[in-house]
Amino acid sequence: MLEIKDLYARVDAEDGDGRQILKGVTLSAPAGEVHAIMGPNGSGKSTLSYVLSGRDGYEVTGGSATLHGEDVFAMAPEERAAKGVFLSFQYPVEIPGVPTLTFVKEALNAQRRARGEEEMKAPEFLKLARENAAKLSISNDMLKRPVNVGFSGGEKKRMEIFQALMLQPKLLILDETDSGLDIDALKVVAEGVNALRSPDRTMLVITHYQRLLDYLKPDVVHVISAGRIAETGGPDLAHQLEKEGYDKYVEDAA
Amino acid sequence: MTAPIKLSQFETALAEALPAGDLRDSLTGRGLPHRRVEEWKWTDLRTVLARFDTSRVPLVLEGSRAPDFEAKPNSPHIMAQLAAELGGEPQGFTLSEAETLRLDFSAQAGAAHQIVHVRVPEGVTATLQETYTASQGAFANIAISITVEAGARLDRIIEQDRAPDAVLVVTSEIDLAAGAQMNQTTLGFGAKLARLETHVAHAGQGAKLRLDGAYVVGEGLHLDQTSLVRHSGPGGETDELFKGAARSGKGVFQGKIHVEQAAQKTDAQMQHRGLLLDDRGEIDAKPELEIYADDVVCAHGNALGALDEDALFYMRQRGLPETKARALLVESFLAEPLERIADETLRETFIERLRARLKEIA
Repeated sequence: MLEIKDLYARVDAEDGDGRQILKGVTLSAPAGEVHAIMGPNGSGKSTLSYVLSGRDGYEVTGGSATLHGEDVFAMAPEERAAKGVFLSFQYPVEIPGVPTLTFVKEALNAQRRARGEEEMKAPEFLKLARENAAKLSISNDMLKRPVNVGFSGGEKKRMEIFQALMLQPKLLILDETDSGLDIDALKVVAEGVNALRSPDRTMLVITHYQRLLDYLKPDVVHVISAGRIAETGGPDLAHQLEKEGYDKYVEDAA
Repeated sequence: MTAPIKLSQFETALAEALPAGDLRDSLTGRGLPHRRVEEWKWTDLRTVLARFDTSRVPLVLEGSRAPDFEAKPNSPHIMAQLAAELGGEPQGFTLSEAETLRLDFSAQAGAAHQIVHVRVPEGVTATLQETYTASQGAFANIAISITVEAGARLDRIIEQDRAPDAVLVVTSEIDLAAGAQMNQTTLGFGAKLARLETHVAHAGQGAKLRLDGAYVVGEGLHLDQTSLVRHSGPGGETDELFKGAARSGKGVFQGKIHVEQAAQKTDAQMQHRGLLLDDRGEIDAKPELEIYADDVVCAHGNALGALDEDALFYMRQRGLPETKARALLVESFLAEPLERIADETLRETFIERLRARLKEIA
């Protein structure tokens, strides 16, 4: 269960003048549910994902967020990861020189150590990696290449979902996962995400468009505008937005 | 002519040990190389040595076998000339097919000079592995001349250990004949002052040179890697990749590739990348191409920066602790030149050394 209450957050700016982006976000997303967060550009969608994952430069100025009752903001990014927070990046970062498999193994075992669990042995890890890679049509060769280096947009997004499958998070945040994907890549990614649906996992699907939601079938749709949840509804709300756009919310906020 | 300079105590002792002649005149007239000499502008040997111990001690050189000839090479470089004049027995090694010659140099307190000559005869493939260690108060001045004859191949692997209270100067002069190949890789951790200088006379005509280096300089350490490759014949290749990181230390990269008019169809590439790990780290770089031929492919690149904060956050988001993420990023950055070492065991050993050193300065 992810519980966000009256969350305020600002983004640091180079000139020292921060900008308040989130202005009282409240939502609760129980385990087992997929919640879509939709909204116009600049409404605070990505900020919410960075605040939850603990990126530098995003400052919480009020409110709270708990995952299974634990204070998310009290933890460093790696501690949040060990507690199950996973952000699938809108723009996955390239890490030259670090092979993907090495990276995922280091990450998985770092999380396990942090939770006081045994490290996963190499044979078990490799078997699991092969199974999950197959689900996303990821070749062995891709797994050996440095993290995201030289990958197409679609390959990068598949790699994000591969990592999520390996790490089995409690809270999976998909930040604009559909951006830059053609329809075939979108289907592969969506299948991977659907394979991650689980009674003990919350998913937040952040998206501008409704097309990813055709495949992911959210339980709840929230519209965020001007830093607040402007409306919450069922899957129909996404279709309504597709037809009518965000004008209504933008005008309300203005 | 400018007035003669005032010699330091160290220079006076050095001059007194030299016989009358050009070298002595040059030393008394100009002193040791210092920051107002263009090639030494970031590495002020003269000032650092001024108060060093002048007593002469032998350099300890442990070879994997005994030398097989004596050679006294001529050099235009003052430090190599001093090594030739003041060093012990010049040691010459003729490498045989598939031989790995290991030379471990270690310097104790005091001033030590040594010259070594290594010859790779025509058609022979061999490996030369050098290590340099120096104790507190040591000044080691070593000149190495290497001839790689036609069609021969030499893999040269150099490890320079961290030596916070010592000064090390290694001047290498390499003669790369037509059709010969040399791959040189240096892993260096710096000293109070360390200068690794490499000169290559590149004959082209199918000759290939790879000149690589990785370095990490921590607090109070200084490492200067200076190289000059001179292409004199057509159709030669040079590929240089240097990567380094400074944390409160100083790294210097000076690389020059000179392509003579006769050296048409030369393919020469030089890259240097530096990583500044804190506010007090310093890296000075001067890559240069000097080209007199009109049909060549030559390029150089140089970039300095800090660790990629986006990559760092990405790694932490996946659960890697910050120190671990940093170490992995720095290691993967610096390992690139080391990955090009052909011998797998040596390659793994070097990467392991790098990893251990990074752990110490993390």
